Amino acid sequence: MRLRTPLALLGAAVLVLAGPPLLSTGSDAETGTQIPGLRFMVPNTPGGGYDITARTAAKNAEDAGLTHNIEVFNLPGAGGTVGLSRLVSEHGNGKLAMSMGLGVVGAARSNHAPKTLADTTPIARLTEEQDVVVVGKDSPYKTIDELITAWKKDPGKIPVGGGSSPGGPDHLAPMLMAQAAGISPKSVNYIPFDGGGELLASILGNKVGFGVSGVGEYLDQIKAGELRVLAVTGPERVDDLKDAPTLKESGYDVDFTNWRGIVAPPGLSEAERNKLTRLFEELHDSPEWKKSLDQNGWDDAFLTGDEFGAFLDAQDKRVVSVLKELGL
Amino acid sequence: MTTRTGSSPAPDPTPAPAAERRSWLRDHSELGVCVLLLALGVLVLTDALTMDVDITQRGPVGPRTVPIVVGMGLLVIAALLAVDVLRGGRGEAEGGEDIDLSEPADWRTVLLLSGIFLGAAVLIEPVGFPVAGALLFWGAAFALGSRRSDRDPLIAAVLSLITYIVFDKLLGVPLPGGPLMGVL
Amino acid sequence: MNALNSLMDGFGTALTPLNLLWAALGVLLGTAIGVLPGIGPAMAVALLLPVTYGLDPVAAFIMFAGIYYGAMFGGSTTSILLNTPGESAAVVAAMEGNPMAKSGRGAQALAAAAIGHFAGGMIGTILLVALAPTVADLAVDIGAPDYFAIMVLAFIAVTSVLGSSRIRGLASLLIGLTIGLVGLDQMTGQQRLTFGSLQLADGVDVVIVAVGLFAIGEALWVAAHLRRAAAEPIPVGLPWLGRADVKRTWKSWLRGPFIGFPFGAIPAGGAEIPTFLSYVTEKRLSKNKDEWGKGAIEGVAGPESAASASAAGTLVSMLTLGLPTTAVAAVMLAAFQQYGIQPGPLLFEREPELVWGLIASLFVGMVLLLALNLPLAPVWAKLLRIPRPYLYAGIMFFAAVGAYAVGGEVVDLVILLIIGLVGFGMRRYGLPILPAVIGVILGPNAEQQLRRALQISDGSVTGLVNTPFAVTVYAVIVLLLAWPLLKRLVIRGRPRADA
Repeated sequence: MRLRTPLALLGAAVLVLAGPPLLSTGSDAETGTQIPGLRFMVPNTPGGGYDITARTAAKNAEDAGLTHNIEVFNLPGAGGTVGLSRLVSEHGNGKLAMSMGLGVVGAARSNHAPKTLADTTPIARLTEEQDVVVVGKDSPYKTIDELITAWKKDPGKIPVGGGSSPGGPDHLAPMLMAQAAGISPKSVNYIPFDGGGELLASILGNKVGFGVSGVGEYLDQIKAGELRVLAVTGPERVDDLKDAPTLKESGYDVDFTNWRGIVAPPGLSEAERNKLTRLFEELHDSPEWKKSLDQNGWDDAFLTGDEFGAFLDAQDKRVVSVLKELGL
Repeated sequence: MTTRTGSSPAPDPTPAPAAERRSWLRDHSELGVCVLLLALGVLVLTDALTMDVDITQRGPVGPRTVPIVVGMGLLVIAALLAVDVLRGGRGEAEGGEDIDLSEPADWRTVLLLSGIFLGAAVLIEPVGFPVAGALLFWGAAFALGSRRSDRDPLIAAVLSLITYIVFDKLLGVPLPGGPLMGVL
Repeated sequence: MNALNSLMDGFGTALTPLNLLWAALGVLLGTAIGVLPGIGPAMAVALLLPVTYGLDPVAAFIMFAGIYYGAMFGGSTTSILLNTPGESAAVVAAMEGNPMAKSGRGAQALAAAAIGHFAGGMIGTILLVALAPTVADLAVDIGAPDYFAIMVLAFIAVTSVLGSSRIRGLASLLIGLTIGLVGLDQMTGQQRLTFGSLQLADGVDVVIVAVGLFAIGEALWVAAHLRRAAAEPIPVGLPWLGRADVKRTWKSWLRGPFIGFPFGAIPAGGAEIPTFLSYVTEKRLSKNKDEWGKGAIEGVAGPESAASASAAGTLVSMLTLGLPTTAVAAVMLAAFQQYGIQPGPLLFEREPELVWGLIASLFVGMVLLLALNLPLAPVWAKLLRIPRPYLYAGIMFFAAVGAYAVGGEVVDLVILLIIGLVGFGMRRYGLPILPAVIGVILGPNAEQQLRRALQISDGSVTGLVNTPFAVTVYAVIVLLLAWPLLKRLVIRGRPRADA
């Protein structure tokens, strides 16, 4: 009888210690683009923008046979800053990548995070998307000029709705607009909404003076005539919205495009870094990814390696200058 | 439910022997709740008042307003509760099926249970979820009086491993597998 | 009429054997995963997204509908049986459901919840078919001042759950409000009570608070006062709702949807506030007031029905406006986009087969949910017969799994334990738990809407009362507050009139 206790203990120990490794799928050969055990971290919640980017990329990479079983997991918090901190702490881990974008650059700055994107290994920029300036169909403003004239007169009376917290893309775009129009960014009455839902309702119901959001988000409402686009924020007109002028051609010097990409932990070896970059290059060339870009209405903006690093750096500087002006 | 002491508003402390004071304190241990509420209120207020707000505020309500209201509320409620306790009011401890209030609280078990939980939390990353989870279950069952050492570890291990499989393998919610991952 | 015809076509789509199978599979998977700790409907739908990759869109969404409702019900199951809500909408179910389960009426509580979900889902979906375009238009008109007015109403309603000692109830509410303050200020991004920790920047999740206060708090409390004498196992009792139960609850089942549906449809609605309001309403209207807190079946039936109807309301905004009003809707929206379908004003014209098939499958899903879960209720309830040490060890174990699995952060476990200790202290000194949880839910919401309303009006206080809706709500509040006074006047007035 006495023997049963040690036996039970032994059995339990074997189960919990040896069980998980034995259950994990055998080691894949690390050949070509295959990176066994690769994981994508998503620094926001399921359903968010980075989540869709990561899950789509993972699925397309698997379908194209580039690598199998990419594990996608969410680590949301503080606009992506929590995920960023975790990524930086995984020094030298060549089997981890994080989907991110302009929002994370802003959040890292506005939250005064100890780690910034300069601490990561840039892998690739994948997609970009312009922002649109939209009003409800019953709004008194018919053109961007009408809107900005009224805005200039009394910035406080024209609340601006955006889907990101201060420091995020939908916050930066109207601030840059204000700067270009000669309005002090500090006097802009910016109201953050979480996610697109409440914001859309507020624009449709004319609760806010105008809204700023990614093009893709409200394409349908615009086509149905519920929303009116006054301008797009990028350097060129958008294919789906040929009638909407850019801010630049309307006389406001703004060039703003939101983007999403992939970064990896710091301290990677040259080989590890090349391998991850290769994977995304192959993904970028795959028909599966092309189809996803098309379906999601994302613009291809592929950029890798040091160029992407330099781009990240420039974006960071821009965010810092805007935030400084706001006193954040 | 009459209280033994403390019904008189001012129990004269001068001749009070230590034992009596201790029993007064035990009867009025709820004052500890007042102290905690007070401390919480001070914490909330300090945090609110030391916040540097240089963003343009529109209207009467800024990022500090609600914390200040809540902090004040905590202070007020701490005072009101103290008055209530000194007047003889008592919060009624929650009863229940498995609860025997006639016995004094068994602090050892509570501490043991909290310690086990904390230990499992700390162990989860170095030794993996299955091990930490099994220790948590077995430890908690042990603390709560189960002494079947020939059965409990096995139950704990199986439960923990199944949970690991469901989350990590079937659902794709990653849990740390333990030190032997990649070795075996 | 047109809608009815389209719906018939939709049933044609949904009732093909294969699609029926997907719906059944969805309900089953949804329930199974919803039961797991820490995994609410949004997570369940997100996790099961890959399962549907191979399917055509219609089949995928039919399965989704099943998963959604199934996961909501699954969340309530653990709430009732183990006092560990899997998601915020299921918190209220624990209030009366768990005491019922403890006293051997677990099967009845689960049955009341299952039928509540069925009734709520059915009525909600009927409202969805009948009112979708109208509700969607109205939803857009509801703005920040209106939300704030509703929050004020909810705060007034909290007073009826404060318990026997007002002071202790308020103390509990304030503790909840304080926890709700933790995190980045949503409007300005200022850190509040985070002590510089980024992990706290998004605040403390309501589910962690609820699981900490309810489950961990109770496990510790039981540990301190465990009946050492051999406890009898919890009796399982009747496996089926008695006639008296049905008599008490049928009105609750029917009332729930009318609270839940509108909240689901409005952009900032969600399911927490309607479940809570339904709970308070049922408590007010109940004839068995002394049973509340000890296991009043109406307190399970009403809120569950409201939760399910709110899910239907969510679909209204999502399908007609492309408005994701909850996390689940956001995930579903993402799923739509995976198939290159953009929900919104044009969806009904572009994809009638998909939309009506989905709506019809909601009805089918509800029937399947009831058919699957009602017979299972007594089986689940037997879970409580396992010996006490294992039961409470299991509760601690699953609470930990839930808190850890979501974010993979050890900090969450430490927070969970701290909140559990708070819950322990609250039990010791008679502070009721519910007001604290309500404080965590309502506080941040109310603050955000208040400040948003004031920002929209550029700081003018009139911005809070400049909509007819808000004014109406405030009028109702005044009436509610003045009611005891009025009643006294009426009673005093009556004899004079008689004379």
